[in-house]
Amino acid sequence: MKKTPVIFGLFFPVILFICLCTGRYPITPGQVAGLLLAPLGVENRFFSAPPDMMMIFWNVRVPRIILSVFVGAGVSTAGAVFQALFRNPLAAPDILGVTQGSGFGAALVILFLSPLALVIQTSAFAFGILAVALAYILASLSRDSSPSVLVISGIVISAIFQAGLSFIMYMANPYDQLIQIIFWTMGSFNTASWAKVRAAAPLLFSGILLITAFSWRLNLMTQGEEDARSMGIHVARWRIFYVVVSTLMVACSVTAVGNVAWIGLIVPHIARYLAGSEHRRLIPMTAVLGGLFLMVMDTVARSLMLSEIPISIVTSIFGAPFLGYLVVSAGKARFSHEPQY
Amino acid sequence: MNLSIENISAGYGGIPVISHIDLTVAPGRICALMGRNGSGKTTLLRCINGLLPLLEGRVRVLGRDIRDLGRDKIARMISVVPQVSFSPFSFSCLDMVLMAGAARIKAWSAPSEKEKQKALAAMAETGIGHMAKRAFNNLSGGERQLVMLARGLFQDTPIMLLDEPNSHLDFANQHKIMALMQSLARKRKMTVLVTLHDPNLTHYYCDDVILIHEGGVRARGETGKTLTDEVLSCVLGNNIECDVTRKGVFVVVPKFNLVHMNEKVNL
Repeated sequence: MKKTPVIFGLFFPVILFICLCTGRYPITPGQVAGLLLAPLGVENRFFSAPPDMMMIFWNVRVPRIILSVFVGAGVSTAGAVFQALFRNPLAAPDILGVTQGSGFGAALVILFLSPLALVIQTSAFAFGILAVALAYILASLSRDSSPSVLVISGIVISAIFQAGLSFIMYMANPYDQLIQIIFWTMGSFNTASWAKVRAAAPLLFSGILLITAFSWRLNLMTQGEEDARSMGIHVARWRIFYVVVSTLMVACSVTAVGNVAWIGLIVPHIARYLAGSEHRRLIPMTAVLGGLFLMVMDTVARSLMLSEIPISIVTSIFGAPFLGYLVVSAGKARFSHEPQY
Repeated sequence: MNLSIENISAGYGGIPVISHIDLTVAPGRICALMGRNGSGKTTLLRCINGLLPLLEGRVRVLGRDIRDLGRDKIARMISVVPQVSFSPFSFSCLDMVLMAGAARIKAWSAPSEKEKQKALAAMAETGIGHMAKRAFNNLSGGERQLVMLARGLFQDTPIMLLDEPNSHLDFANQHKIMALMQSLARKRKMTVLVTLHDPNLTHYYCDDVILIHEGGVRARGETGKTLTDEVLSCVLGNNIECDVTRKGVFVVVPKFNLVHMNEKVNL
């Protein structure tokens, strides 16, 4: 365990650098180094970047990579939190309907109001939060306060918003509106900009910090509700805290880049192999791994083919088999590996 | 008295499962709670721990009404050893035990090194000090029960409630856990309330016994004086009786049925 952070400490900058060098606009590693050093005041006698390269590097590639790291880290952290809260390793961060709500909110605006990015994003964010709030209200009407009731409420709300989304897609003009909606439902970092980084990164970063700070209590949340209460945790209140923080993070991500499938489900599992189930160690590992994973996936999405591939397709194609590989290769150890210290 | 229960009724959906129960439990003693399935033992434990709202009456813990106390305050007075189960995620035994320290530490902090040493000491006390790093879910039922017991001890409360701690244990382990509880209750001056099904375990290890029947207290008092043929057949069923072994040990056995036994022999 002690080695893992060191390995990641070395790993992360290397992969970051590779991702910075990759893309359809060719920039060599030497040029990337020059571009990175230039603002620090380091004179570079061998190389001065042409203006269009400067523009693409600083205004397209760098914000896109920053955004993918934050979104990956945020959604993965939210996934780990939801898996703990619902005591279910198969829970995804959109189990309460935030993705479907956001998708519906975005599609609604695209169809009826305007294609203005800011309006679409506001609506997506609001509807994402609304969906989770509705799921919570629905669950609270039940006398049963167990998390499974909340899951069922989430399924109900998701289904309704998904139906609404499908209906709008059916109604939408296939030449412009539909394409916009589909790209939204499959997610893309195509529109990444410094403005989006400024909007999303602070919220995602503070969400991850908050969850990390309160990560040890998640261990208790995975135990039975009555067990956790008799150990001194006010389970209902803490569940709201974790759900609100996680939902804000996911809504913020979906608003910025659309739906990113699989990340929230798969990354916590990979992190559990590396760091064990104890959440004090698991949460930071999940965040780092999620950022790394989505950064690489987005690099693949933007450079593998001539045209951009929606991010959810890439994360599914690479993520799902990887999880399958982990399950098969680790065999029995999946549910019973010895935690490392 | 550490724990006093004054005329409580409680149940689910407004229908009482237990009604008008009065009890006091003294420190340094083990008290068994007996009764048939569905008699209200677990409901009573949940009321004492403040998990189930009362329909009437009052539970006082160390002189304070349980309704006035937050979960963290209750957790510093009452620990619960639940029936063993699996954890949905694979935690080490030490991590499982450490969870019980939640009420003592700040919400944003994790257990300190000192807490870890204390948890290891509690594990050593129950004889599982060597299992600290092992995965909880890989252990046998008996070992997991010992981890849960260590967790209760680590919570370090004057009152401990155990809900059928023997349900998954083999014969030897049942006696091991009960003997351990007996010595711990004395040593730590704890009030221990344990639900049990086996009247023999009650008789060997518990100082007092409370027999619950149909939601009310049928009999209570010192174990030796309370477990009589009449009470046992009323509360636990009319097919058992008290006897004494050749060595003079009190036992509760199924009623000896000559006809039935002969049939068995002839087969």
